Amino acid sequence: MKQGRLQVGKRAGKTAGSTARNVATARAAAGGMLWISPWLAGLLLLFVIPAGYALWFSLCDYSLLSRPVYVGLENYRELLGDERVWRSGINSAVYAVASVIGATGLSLAIAVLLDMGLKGSGVVRAIVFAPTLVPVVSACVVWGWLFNQQFGLINTVIRLVTGMSPLEGPDWIGSARLAMPSLIVMSLWTIGSSLMIASAALRDVPRSLYEAASIDGMGALRRLWHVTIPMISPALLFNALMSVVWSLQVFAQPQIMTKGGPGDSTITYSMSVYAAGFVYGRMGYACALAWVQALVIFAVAGCVLLAARRFVYYRAA
Amino acid sequence: MSDVDGHFLRLARRTALGVIGVGALGYGLWPRKPRSVAEIGVGRTVVDYWEKWTGPEGEAMQRVVDVFNGSQGRIFVRRIPVSDITSKAKVAIGGGDPPDVLGLYSYSVPQFAYAKAAMALDDAALGEHALDASVYAPAVAKLLTFEGRLWGGVSSTYSLALYRNRAMFKEAGLDPDRPPRTVSELDAMSQRFEKRAANGGLERVGFLHTLPAWWPYFWPIMFGGSLFDEASKKVLIASPECVKTYAWVQRTMARLGPDAAAQISGNFSRFFHSAKDPFISGAVPMIVQGPWIANFIRIHRPELDYDASPVPVDDGMYDEPNGLLNAARPTGMLEADVLMIPRGCKHPLEAAEFIKFTQRQEVQEAFCREHAKASPLAKVSGEFLRTHPNRAIGTHVAITQSGAVQVLPQTPVWQAYADLITSAFDKICNGAAVSETLGAVGQRAQQMVDIAETRRA
Repeated sequence: MKQGRLQVGKRAGKTAGSTARNVATARAAAGGMLWISPWLAGLLLLFVIPAGYALWFSLCDYSLLSRPVYVGLENYRELLGDERVWRSGINSAVYAVASVIGATGLSLAIAVLLDMGLKGSGVVRAIVFAPTLVPVVSACVVWGWLFNQQFGLINTVIRLVTGMSPLEGPDWIGSARLAMPSLIVMSLWTIGSSLMIASAALRDVPRSLYEAASIDGMGALRRLWHVTIPMISPALLFNALMSVVWSLQVFAQPQIMTKGGPGDSTITYSMSVYAAGFVYGRMGYACALAWVQALVIFAVAGCVLLAARRFVYYRAA
Repeated sequence: MSDVDGHFLRLARRTALGVIGVGALGYGLWPRKPRSVAEIGVGRTVVDYWEKWTGPEGEAMQRVVDVFNGSQGRIFVRRIPVSDITSKAKVAIGGGDPPDVLGLYSYSVPQFAYAKAAMALDDAALGEHALDASVYAPAVAKLLTFEGRLWGGVSSTYSLALYRNRAMFKEAGLDPDRPPRTVSELDAMSQRFEKRAANGGLERVGFLHTLPAWWPYFWPIMFGGSLFDEASKKVLIASPECVKTYAWVQRTMARLGPDAAAQISGNFSRFFHSAKDPFISGAVPMIVQGPWIANFIRIHRPELDYDASPVPVDDGMYDEPNGLLNAARPTGMLEADVLMIPRGCKHPLEAAEFIKFTQRQEVQEAFCREHAKASPLAKVSGEFLRTHPNRAIGTHVAITQSGAVQVLPQTPVWQAYADLITSAFDKICNGAAVSETLGAVGQRAQQMVDIAETRRA
């Protein structure tokens, strides 16, 4: 009898302890939810609901000015045959591939040089990072003048070096051949963030690995290839992934500097989305374009992450 | 609860209370009425008017607004300069909070009327403030009308003409009073001014289609071509006249060298309407421009000896007795800035009263004089012509009043169509096959027109 009471008391004590723990867990969860609630509200209001609306509008004829009218998959069917949309998609892909490779490679190269402890590396780091603080519109105006065929600094230097006459020199953003490469070069101006991430990752590479590699007779390039790059590959993946996502959405630079010309040579996909929605008043079509863009970006990012499983080395794993 | 959790909750509470406190303080200190409204005076209805113009052009419109505000005590029009006005107007209308008056473009009329996003201004419900299409020049009335209803008033109208530097004509041994009348004459005169550097590069041109490159859809007019047939809803960019037009453009570019021509237009692209404008600075003797160029000439180089004429026409089209201002033949294109009342605005009657006021002959003529433009009205006073600051105003008035002047295609897809033409124009200048390039534009533009019509049906 006494033993039975003891067991009941033990059970009651166990239950009370469990309830207290549950309450504590629930309160902790509520506290956590409270802390992330601004983010959750933002996600819901600024992403989930608009994306849901956009999906619905993509199935409608909608001009912003009148009520949406359901047209099924007509907008998607139309964009398949829209040559200008294809052109803009190809341009975005070219821009993304070139700027991702360029930005990742250049930021890695500069980070490696800075990691060598050369004099003035702090100043160089600050100089490379500074352009990321410049608003994109201001940057475009500055680059517009740098690229100016007649008065631009780039052509002035070329003329000084080559002895060309004042009217000669490449028309960097006015020529269909050079406009896209010029925009890609401009994109490399803002590698500051990638550089910082690569630099931070480099500092984390154990020095002992370099010493061991040196003892094994590896030269600088082989150490870079076999030690540095694998060890900082997660940071490189992050840089590449962010770069892919942003460059596939590039809008402001071509919109401000070239308006997509000459002859659609620099029109990008985001410009097509913007024009369809806000210039031509075809918001339904613009939403269809935007959804295709989002799916393509998800797919490309997924492919990058799949490839990363093979090429990225996680020390913790 | 652990100490850490308690600490965080206290911190969260304090932060929340702090934010609420700052919000309450801000609300308490915020003026009950914006200063712009507080100064208006009691009892007046405020009409919000979005207008794209800034600078001297905006100030000229403000003077019209001031005269209206001073002419009565019931309504106060508040002009708000807005950039990228078409997109913002669409968002405001879509969101249900539009202004009372919108200063848009004539190509906005079909788009807004098509979507019933604006009020018809010839509506009997507007009473004495309703507008009457018959007071406008015929082409202007056409610009304001869509499917038989009048959707806007005019704030200004403009036609494009060939401006020529008379002093440069004299220097080149040409008669300064004799503008080119045919395309062949234009080419011949233009070549007299061309100058090449020792290395073959272009130093000067007589005339260039890309100076400025703002209206690549304009040139078919010179060959009797048209961009769109409203009756059949057919896109005509691939018609023989248009192909002939753009083949001429391509020949000119090939003669000058596409890179050299692009270089010249690129060099001037940032300087239009400034002292370094190709025409104002005297670098280029002939340029297709709107009447506003006279204002910039007055500011930057008042001594410039210039005149303007309708653009030349294809050789077979010119007939001597009627000259360039042949009423039976389109020799120009007309566009307009329009005033519209968006659907869902708060004060439609007051907005209509303001628009009606701006359409009075004396108000229009005063305003057009300030913009250096032609009057959009059917009646033009002698004083307007005598006192106008643009010495070529006669040409612009004649083009505006011509029954055969063209207007932009009246279709809601015009802007998309215009962008296709712009892109094709660039390609043609760089040597792309004319027929194929225009054919592709025509096909896509027709598809867009068909979609718009089908969905409407």
